[in-house]
Amino acid sequence: MTLLATSARRAAPVFACIGLLAIWQVASLALKNDSFPTAIEAIRAIPDILGDKESLINILASLRRMAIGFGVAVLVSIPLGLLMGRSRAVAAFFNPLLMVIYPVPKAALMPIIMLWLGVGDIAKTLVIFLGVSLPVIYHSFEGARAVEEKMLWSGAAMGLSPLQRLVRIVLPAALPEVLTGCRTGLVLALITMITSEMIARQSGAGNILFNALDMGQYDTVFAMIIIVGAMGICLDAIFERVRARLVRWSEPQFDMPLSFS
Amino acid sequence: MKVVPSRSSEWVRPVTSQKPASAIIEIDRVSQVFQTSARKDHLALSDISLTIDEGAFVSILGPSGCGKSTLLYIVGGFVSPTSGAAKIKGQAITGPGPDRGPVFQEFALFPWKTVLGNVMYGPRQQGVRTPEAEAQSRALIEMVGLKGYENFYPKELSGGMKQRVALARTLAYHPEVLLMDEPFGALDAHTRTRLQNDLLNIWERDRKTVLFVTHSVDEAVFLSDKVVMMSKSPGRIRQVIDIDLPRPRRRNELLLDPRYQKYVVDIERMFDEVDETGSPS
Amino acid sequence: MTPRILPSNVFLGVAPIVLVIAVWQGLVSFGFAPAVLLPPPGFVFGRLLQQLVTWTFQQEIVATLIRLFAGFAIAVVLGVSIGIAAAASPAINAVVRPIVRVLAPLPKVALYPALLLLLGFGHGSKITLVAADALFPILLSTYYGASTVEQKLIWSAMAAGTPRYQILFKVVLPAAMPSILTGCRIGLVISCIVVFLAEMITSTDGLGHALVTAARTFQAVDMFVPLITISLLGLILNALLGAVRSYLLRGFPEA
Repeated sequence: MTLLATSARRAAPVFACIGLLAIWQVASLALKNDSFPTAIEAIRAIPDILGDKESLINILASLRRMAIGFGVAVLVSIPLGLLMGRSRAVAAFFNPLLMVIYPVPKAALMPIIMLWLGVGDIAKTLVIFLGVSLPVIYHSFEGARAVEEKMLWSGAAMGLSPLQRLVRIVLPAALPEVLTGCRTGLVLALITMITSEMIARQSGAGNILFNALDMGQYDTVFAMIIIVGAMGICLDAIFERVRARLVRWSEPQFDMPLSFS
Repeated sequence: MKVVPSRSSEWVRPVTSQKPASAIIEIDRVSQVFQTSARKDHLALSDISLTIDEGAFVSILGPSGCGKSTLLYIVGGFVSPTSGAAKIKGQAITGPGPDRGPVFQEFALFPWKTVLGNVMYGPRQQGVRTPEAEAQSRALIEMVGLKGYENFYPKELSGGMKQRVALARTLAYHPEVLLMDEPFGALDAHTRTRLQNDLLNIWERDRKTVLFVTHSVDEAVFLSDKVVMMSKSPGRIRQVIDIDLPRPRRRNELLLDPRYQKYVVDIERMFDEVDETGSPS
Repeated sequence: MTPRILPSNVFLGVAPIVLVIAVWQGLVSFGFAPAVLLPPPGFVFGRLLQQLVTWTFQQEIVATLIRLFAGFAIAVVLGVSIGIAAAASPAINAVVRPIVRVLAPLPKVALYPALLLLLGFGHGSKITLVAADALFPILLSTYYGASTVEQKLIWSAMAAGTPRYQILFKVVLPAAMPSILTGCRIGLVISCIVVFLAEMITSTDGLGHALVTAARTFQAVDMFVPLITISLLGLILNALLGAVRSYLLRGFPEA
């Protein structure tokens, strides 16, 4: 591919962003609705939000909850998924449980969890944890299952114990699939975080959004949307970089950025 | 290099032997260059010129990667040559069409249609009304030996049966030329020989022009009037051999026929020579 | 991993549910959880049956279903057409691909306040949110299916005389069906979830709204009822989609 073509391809998402913002601008000017500020007005409101100490604290709190929920979920789910993939007993034990939890919207459990654990960080982090765990477990499970038996036999012949085989063969071999699960989990973490904050308004980015809505600060509403959107895009891009480096050796995977709420 | 159908005094159908030889396919100085992912250019075919006469069964024989399938695809209109041109009955070939019917190694049957649905596809596409198309198709399905399987889905059929359906499907829209790309390559030896016999029986009925790509020497000799031998990549025509064996050909007779054996031995030797003198693949 | 209700596997499908209910009952009976917070399954299912025959609850279900179907239908129509268009035309691909890359990681629920402002608090905002969330998996799997159609299938159809513009409908669309239906299944699950969540965030009716209302009055049982209802609805719809899938893909070999 020529240099021009490659750089055009890389720049395309940027053009897409600008294009979308442009469409927004035109639409808002055309509609002349008070509750639909133009893109430029919304963008102007962004520094105000980021500059406001309380808002910033809220946003950082959101990110913190997301990070903890995601981190703990990944730490728990990857080993669980890998084990399920290689051990029929473990799979048989957990599979039914997971199958039932799967269709339930995790964020919808918010009020119930709030009932049990009160409002506050723990409830929200728990919901994020639940939301992230499922795709990570599932993909780790699939990835571990797909590991070639013969690779493990070679490992056993070399004298590796079952635990060593799990860590040194299954984990690296399943890593591409595991990371796909983590990517889905990341998307879900963000969604679950925002949604749970919108439902259980206490603090956080979702809360800011709805407060602004209630108070008629429409610029702020749209500005927050841009901020949250940017967070999503940045996190995804960063994760993709990390993933690409970690699994440079693998065949290209079809990336389906699926969104499971 | 002209390819002229050989005359045999033992031809079964005197009508055809009276017809003067006429060229149906002309391939004129065709070359094909592919761009590989490593940004290097790969010369698949180099300066191929060939004329095929109507009613001839011509095999294109060569090692893997010599571009024989590419040549077939160019005649079929699926691929455009980088240089040179192919013509059918004087008309330039610019795209696929019902005058050149393909039969692929991978069968390429429509999985969402039954056997009958697949075979009826061509006639329906050409505007034949459903009752007539169905009747024609049923007759064809019976001819290829699959009577009773009309409502089966391709996934329920064996490889050999799928290829019979593929053949019926192509014959259904009455192409003037049959383009067969290693059609029996994916089948086991026993099924392959059966299908070779059946193909010849079907072909005998109206003697269409056939371009048959293969890498099997005995298959080429058994089936064809002419064998076009290609060299290793870049593909060039090394030699054209007339196969002067009587028709109809029966495998059990031919295998014991010294003329057949000589053809196979000679061509296999040429094959080895081609391997040595051709460029490394 | 979704529970599959196949005739021969009904037992396998039902077993985990039975297991969970058993655990649930156990937690309550053995005093691990106070009944006020975690009512026993019997209570909940009893209340569910009670509610199902009331007109008000039925209206909630209808409201939720309307939004669900409308949003899902829009997502399917848009997703499949854009997906196929992007696979067929490099020009469209060049435009669609970067837009999808930008919009996909964006939590669509963040747009919800904007939708509320523009479309009000009724059906419109929720249907749009459902459509926006369900769109991407359907679009992506359609694109994937359409762009990986076996070349020889297209060639066979062309040789049989199919003009170029018909190839999309006669070959690409049917050949991409398995992929499309997989995307639709995911889209359906997402639709169920999103409609419920949107109703929880703000709404005047619907199952999600019912849950939030019950939460405000600390009625634990009434909180579980809508939750279980939406899960059951999801299972039923999934099973229906599975049946449609089996019929449409009856010719295809098992994946």
